[in-house]
Amino acid sequence: MITARILMLFQALILVCATTATSTQAAVISTPDYVSETSRDGRLAQINAVLARDEVRQQLVAMGVSHEDAMARVAALSPAELQQLGQRMEQLPAGGDILGLIGAVFVVLLILELVGVTNIFTAV
Amino acid sequence: MELDDVPFFPQSRYQCGPAALATTLNYSGVDIDDRALEQAVFLPGREGSLQAELLAASRRHGRIPYRIAGNPEALTSELAAGNPVLVMQNLGIDALPQWHYAVVVGYHSGERQWLLRSGTERRHTASHTRFLISWQKAAYWAAVTLPPGRLPASATPATVTQALADAERVMGAPTVLPGWEAAVTRWPGQAELLFGAANAQRSAGHKHAASQRFEQLLISDPEHYAGRNNYADLLLALGCPASARTVLAPAQQARGLAPALEAVIAATAGELDQYPAQPDREDCPAAPS
Repeated sequence: MITARILMLFQALILVCATTATSTQAAVISTPDYVSETSRDGRLAQINAVLARDEVRQQLVAMGVSHEDAMARVAALSPAELQQLGQRMEQLPAGGDILGLIGAVFVVLLILELVGVTNIFTAV
Repeated sequence: MELDDVPFFPQSRYQCGPAALATTLNYSGVDIDDRALEQAVFLPGREGSLQAELLAASRRHGRIPYRIAGNPEALTSELAAGNPVLVMQNLGIDALPQWHYAVVVGYHSGERQWLLRSGTERRHTASHTRFLISWQKAAYWAAVTLPPGRLPASATPATVTQALADAERVMGAPTVLPGWEAAVTRWPGQAELLFGAANAQRSAGHKHAASQRFEQLLISDPEHYAGRNNYADLLLALGCPASARTVLAPAQQARGLAPALEAVIAATAGELDQYPAQPDREDCPAAPS
């Protein structure tokens, strides 16, 4: 008798838990999902986000980022950012070395010198 | 106009991204140095850092990144509001770009000079023309990183909505809630901001504050069907199925909705069907129809 009641109580509890879980998860639309849904680009980025995340993670690793860091880095990117990086990681501007500017200028001058446009170095 | 107390992290080789980001993050109250940020933004294969990854790293440290409009007026309005601005410059030429991040900390209108934390210089001065050219060659990219309760001075409702939504995916709705509330205070009638604030209030466990925001949302935009759906779900959680039915009804009759939205509305309607058709308790919110 008592075990039957406990069993019923237990079943009721499961039912309550199951229904509250679905009511808070399945039936609302989150702000980020809604914002993505309101533009065509956002919708596409949202659909491709899972694939893009994996693609970007692999590219980060290929460019020298550790597996662990790459996972954490892609997790903080928006769907639109993931899409952009997934398509153009090689071409996007990467802010880096200002010291390199001096080196680049030197190379240009050297090329100009070698092809005979300038003669800065021979003049010295 | 100059923000003297913005800290300075002199950049080591290739590391202007981490140094510039450490500058704005520290100024907004995050205790982190450039070394610690290298792991989050530096890309060895490109010997530099990508713009999107700077924004992402800001989110990981609890600061919401906002892109700023690419004009000098936006920069000066941010400075006046006490926000140093992260900018990208191209110090080379288009054919041989030298991408560089710096932080704009001041502008002297008399001398027409911009003041920056840049590279190894704590107080770099650049003439207006030179700075604008280098910034223009980097497509006028600019951003500020702010704590959740503060908004950029130069932002619009649309840019704030996008920035907060992107931040919410990473930082969670309760953390971003002060941002939504600040935005609703600045632009009271904006439906998308009210929707964001309502959802964030509910995620933070503030059911009654959420229901107030949903009511304001449906007054300002009765055809906000995602708002109707989420409000109906909240009313159900508050034990008010009759109010929930009233709120959801127009959404069930709406045509031409996105399939994802339609499916969620159908799910909510299905749940409502499990409740008997009875009047609500006295203390249920009187829902606008």
